[in-house]
Amino acid sequence: MGKSFKLPIGPVHIALEEPVYFKVHLEGETITGVDILSGFVHRGMEAMILRKNFLQSMIVTERTCSLCSNNHPFTYIMAMEKIAGTRISERAEYLRVFADEIKRAASHLFNISMQAHVIGFHSLMTQTMETREILQDLKETVWGNRMDLSANTIGGVKFDMDDDKIKYVRDSLNKLKKPVEEVINIFRHNRMVRLRTEGVGVISKEDALRVGIVGPTARGSGVNNDIRDIYPYAAYDRLNFDVILEDGCDVRARTLVRLGEVFQAIDLAEQCLRDLPEGPLTVGGLPRIPAGEAVARTEAPRGELFYYVKANGTDKPERVKWRVPTYMHWEALKIMMPGNKTADVALIFNSIDPCISCTER
Amino acid sequence: MKTDKQELKVTFLAEAEIFAPGGFELGPGYENHVGGDDIFIKLNDKNDIVGLARLVHKYGGRVITITPYSVEGGNEVAYHMDVGGMIITATTFTDDKAVPAITTILKSGDWSEREMKDIFGIVAVGHPCSDERLILDESMAENVFEEYTSLSDAMAGAATSTLWEHINEQKEEDNG
Repeated sequence: MGKSFKLPIGPVHIALEEPVYFKVHLEGETITGVDILSGFVHRGMEAMILRKNFLQSMIVTERTCSLCSNNHPFTYIMAMEKIAGTRISERAEYLRVFADEIKRAASHLFNISMQAHVIGFHSLMTQTMETREILQDLKETVWGNRMDLSANTIGGVKFDMDDDKIKYVRDSLNKLKKPVEEVINIFRHNRMVRLRTEGVGVISKEDALRVGIVGPTARGSGVNNDIRDIYPYAAYDRLNFDVILEDGCDVRARTLVRLGEVFQAIDLAEQCLRDLPEGPLTVGGLPRIPAGEAVARTEAPRGELFYYVKANGTDKPERVKWRVPTYMHWEALKIMMPGNKTADVALIFNSIDPCISCTER
Repeated sequence: MKTDKQELKVTFLAEAEIFAPGGFELGPGYENHVGGDDIFIKLNDKNDIVGLARLVHKYGGRVITITPYSVEGGNEVAYHMDVGGMIITATTFTDDKAVPAITTILKSGDWSEREMKDIFGIVAVGHPCSDERLILDESMAENVFEEYTSLSDAMAGAATSTLWEHINEQKEEDNG
């Protein structure tokens, strides 16, 4: 048995991309517990939004974070549309899914690349990031921006796809497939990657259900809570896909889910373009938002993103609350970390695909 | 033909009458939209949230999040829970900044109940670690939501009267 001590990691640390403070309890090199202190990037966004009108609020939500920036306005807007009783066109529904799946593929590749970085496999990190560049270029070409797409608006979407753009996107997605396959192959079979990720950061299916974790983190423990499947929104009920589940419950299992979902996202984006119906992009003009309340949720790259909106008949919301996927994963870290080594802290943390800006709002 | 969720909704609401004996009011949902089977209920007695949490636990459900907000005479607290892919929003009223904790029944409510204390100063009585701050450190007062002033408001002098006092003083001096 080694000496007991506490190791502070953060709030600003080379292994963390955003500020959070871990107090890691150790026996020698083995983790026995972890305390988490957050709040370093709390911006009071839920209070700020009540001072804005519904349209300005939509723009604020997109600034919550950049990696899942599309899901924030998307989910907020769906809640607004429920209160207003607005039904958008089928074309807009397909375009919303198309934008979301492109963001998902790019986000997952970013997380996987960071994993390669954390385990010291830097050539794999650059290879994954280089592959992701195809998607970044695609986003810039279609939406004019590499991160915040500004694709959605209350009552529809703000972009359209003509034949030229569809051809460009198809070509880009085809170009993406081979390098993604190569990356997946390395993650699946490389001995070093397997040794570093197998059996690390385990959370059982029972614990995953108990603490309520979501997204690929939960699906790596065999829990199907894919919102696209259990609560289908937009065009997901008309698209073909199977929920990707793994039962390893460890860092590797969560990585395999994300790798599978990169291909799934490409397939869903292609289905959207193939089946894209004719129709208007928006309902035309902004609907009046009457008094009422609504909830909406989407499957963001990190998992379930939830919005609650309460309106009082004025042009400003009475209350908007959002809960992001990472919020549910902090408590899970207290289960995943004990029993692992100090060197695994950053790896396990990365495996929940953390977004602190989102969590703290 | 009834869907699985419609059947679940009927069964859940029937059992909720037993688990929440103080009674509740069923709110309107939204037809022809995603989540048309979602449930909105307003509990007459805030203590019934414990019974409702037990019912959600019985169905293998979880807490998604908790939304507190200010209303005349106190606060309303909306609990959003998932049961079989259906969202249940149960709202309670408190006039003493306290609600019973449900984390002991549904672990998934842990952080949401602690955040409620940080941001609105509403205590979840019986929470296993209610003294731990979540979003804020001890240098900031609880119930910060009520005290929030946006930077643009502050810069426009809306947060304090200092700016206008200064302008008025200047005017008086100019008018001599």
